Amino acid sequence: MTEFAQSDLSQSDLSQRDLAQSDVAQPSLAQANLARDTSTRDASAQASPADDSDKPALSVRHLTKTYAHATSPVLNDVSFDVPKGKVFVVLGPSGSGKSTLLRAIAGLEPIQGGTIALHGDVIDEGKPGRLTGRSKRASALRTRIGMVFQSYDLFPNKTVLGNITLAPTLVLKRKSSDVRDEAMQLLERVHLADRANSWPHELSGGQRQRVAICRALIEHPEVLLLDEITAALDPEMVREVLDVVLELADNGQTMVLVTHEMRFAEAIADHVILLEDGSIVDSTDDPKEFFTHPQSERAKKFLGSFEYKRHDSQPASDRS
Amino acid sequence: MFDWSFVTRYAPFFVNGALITLYISVLGIALSIGVGFVCALAEITRIPVLRQIVRFYIELSRNTPLLIQLYFLYFGFPKLGIVWSSETCAIVGLGFLGGSYMSEAFRGGLQTVPASQYEAAYVLGLSKWQTLRRLVLPQAFGLCVPALVANVIFLIKESSVVSAIALADVMYVTRDLIGMYYSTYESLFLLIVTYLVILLPISLFGLWLERRFDYERR
Amino acid sequence: MSGVELLLQPSVLPRLLSGLWVTVWIAVVSVAGSIPVGLVTGWLMTRRNAFVRFLMRLYLDFIRIMPQLALLFIAFYGLARLWNWNLDATGACVLVFILWGGAELGDLVRAALQSIPASQYDSAYVLGLSTWQTYTRIIIPLALRRMLPASVNLATRIVKTTSLAVLLGVVEVVKVGQQIIDVYRFRCPDGALWIYGAIFLMYFFICWPLSLLARHLERKWSHD
Repeated sequence: MTEFAQSDLSQSDLSQRDLAQSDVAQPSLAQANLARDTSTRDASAQASPADDSDKPALSVRHLTKTYAHATSPVLNDVSFDVPKGKVFVVLGPSGSGKSTLLRAIAGLEPIQGGTIALHGDVIDEGKPGRLTGRSKRASALRTRIGMVFQSYDLFPNKTVLGNITLAPTLVLKRKSSDVRDEAMQLLERVHLADRANSWPHELSGGQRQRVAICRALIEHPEVLLLDEITAALDPEMVREVLDVVLELADNGQTMVLVTHEMRFAEAIADHVILLEDGSIVDSTDDPKEFFTHPQSERAKKFLGSFEYKRHDSQPASDRS
Repeated sequence: MFDWSFVTRYAPFFVNGALITLYISVLGIALSIGVGFVCALAEITRIPVLRQIVRFYIELSRNTPLLIQLYFLYFGFPKLGIVWSSETCAIVGLGFLGGSYMSEAFRGGLQTVPASQYEAAYVLGLSKWQTLRRLVLPQAFGLCVPALVANVIFLIKESSVVSAIALADVMYVTRDLIGMYYSTYESLFLLIVTYLVILLPISLFGLWLERRFDYERR
Repeated sequence: MSGVELLLQPSVLPRLLSGLWVTVWIAVVSVAGSIPVGLVTGWLMTRRNAFVRFLMRLYLDFIRIMPQLALLFIAFYGLARLWNWNLDATGACVLVFILWGGAELGDLVRAALQSIPASQYDSAYVLGLSTWQTYTRIIIPLALRRMLPASVNLATRIVKTTSLAVLLGVVEVVKVGQQIIDVYRFRCPDGALWIYGAIFLMYFFICWPLSLLARHLERKWSHD
């Protein structure tokens, strides 16, 4: 694993982030706020990034969502705050609503109740009537949340470099030479600089996911959402992707992760939530404790589903 | 305005035309299935010369219009001493054209059966013949069916040109009646109805068959 | 005179080629006209409005189930009278081929658009791309790749179907061939064999390269 100068990178990272936000994001964010007649608008809505280090990067309050023809809600009064620079891991059995939660935060699914706020700015509010269709968020607003999916869908008609540079040039209107340079830097970090001009179909799943992460990072998202990004990968490739995510965590990227890789979750999490049937049934700031000595019944049951045991009487060590 | 009595009076002519169309089509389709099956088998065997011949035939028949093929058979062959009736020309023409489409359908079906099926059968101890008979061919058949039905519909539609070589099919009757009685709307109405009656049921049957044989989805 | 000599007569091949030009012209105009019709119908088929989809389905299914010759008759004898058009045979042919080609192309467009996974749209959304940008930069290029091989096949089918024009009286290559056979009926009794053979080969050498192109494109982009 190549070492990289952590301090160097986070410096340039921050300065670039400031650049991007002061250039473009602020005016559009003001616009986005104007478009909503929210009664809960924060006074600090117009604040510059440096002021809201005390506000959580992501704040989800009383989130409720029901699918169009369903009887029970898929997300039921979900609330949590993700402080800046922390990693939140969402665990839970399948069907518990983890993916839906992330998609709702990203604006891919509409919510019927509750609010979502980024650094204190409310970006989405539940509307009971709207059951289908995307949340109509402004472009610039969408760039503040990055997301990487399980199905590593790079755009097949663009090269690796093309995939990464497309959005910053088109949406954030940055200079293409700057974007290219930063894209190459990101590719260096994930050890794919030599594949900059390859096509997606020439890459392995693990390589594609790493490119997908770069593609999300180049927009300097305030929060990065990762939805089971290694679930579709062959085991050998899981490691290379998760190592990248660990680096991001070390660098202070605020993240919300859904994953089934328990050892990885234990290593990376600052906070763990257990989601079951759309509700948070357990939440802890001490992941190590959670994984080694789960307290609640639900936690025990969930973590137990990952353990295997033979039921024959001879203990393993006695067999030769 | 629209003369319904005309419709009822001349409907029998259209029925006759339809019968001729069906007669030619059924025989032509049967011939094409035979030719197609043989070609598909030939392509699977590893004899290179055979595969070349089949490839050549397929390219030739798929890249030329049926009408030209029929004219060639009906007007051209007699110069070589081969004089066939209109019916024979039509059936041979349909068989020639259809054969290549059918062979593609069969080949597609056989190739789509995944190798894992053969391997699973091997591991279970089945003989080659058993594997073919009990696993591969039924699956291949199911996979072929949509393509086969599509080809049947295609060939029936193609048969509409046989009036060019003096066969009294539906198009022939239509043109005659329009020419003789200026009954354009009524004749065209009967034309549309006749073809819909022939082709719609087959289309729907094809859809049903496709769903029934779709093992994957079930 | 033998058949070969017939073909080498000074007026024969040039006349056949001029007839072929009419065939090619009809085919090209029809293909060109089918494109906008196909794009619009295909796009309409993916809309959420059920009534629109139903109308399109009706149009598509009718045109695709009727034999092309029947459609030509309907256009030439029927529509021309209905709307008092002075539609000549060539016009009727082009009209029918555009409507039919457009219907077939529409189905291809619909299939291509529907085969694009929702995750492509999702990725573009979270990156902040506008709807227009998503369609022009990602979706449409992808859909084009998926459609192109089958579209080239469709062009081949249109070329072959133009042979039906002779049955409406259009003076294209087959008609010219028949005229030549008539003129030389006594001087070259075997004319029919050679003329129709020549026309057969002419169609082959137009359609075959197109088939090869379609297959090449399909292989080239099969990874998408």
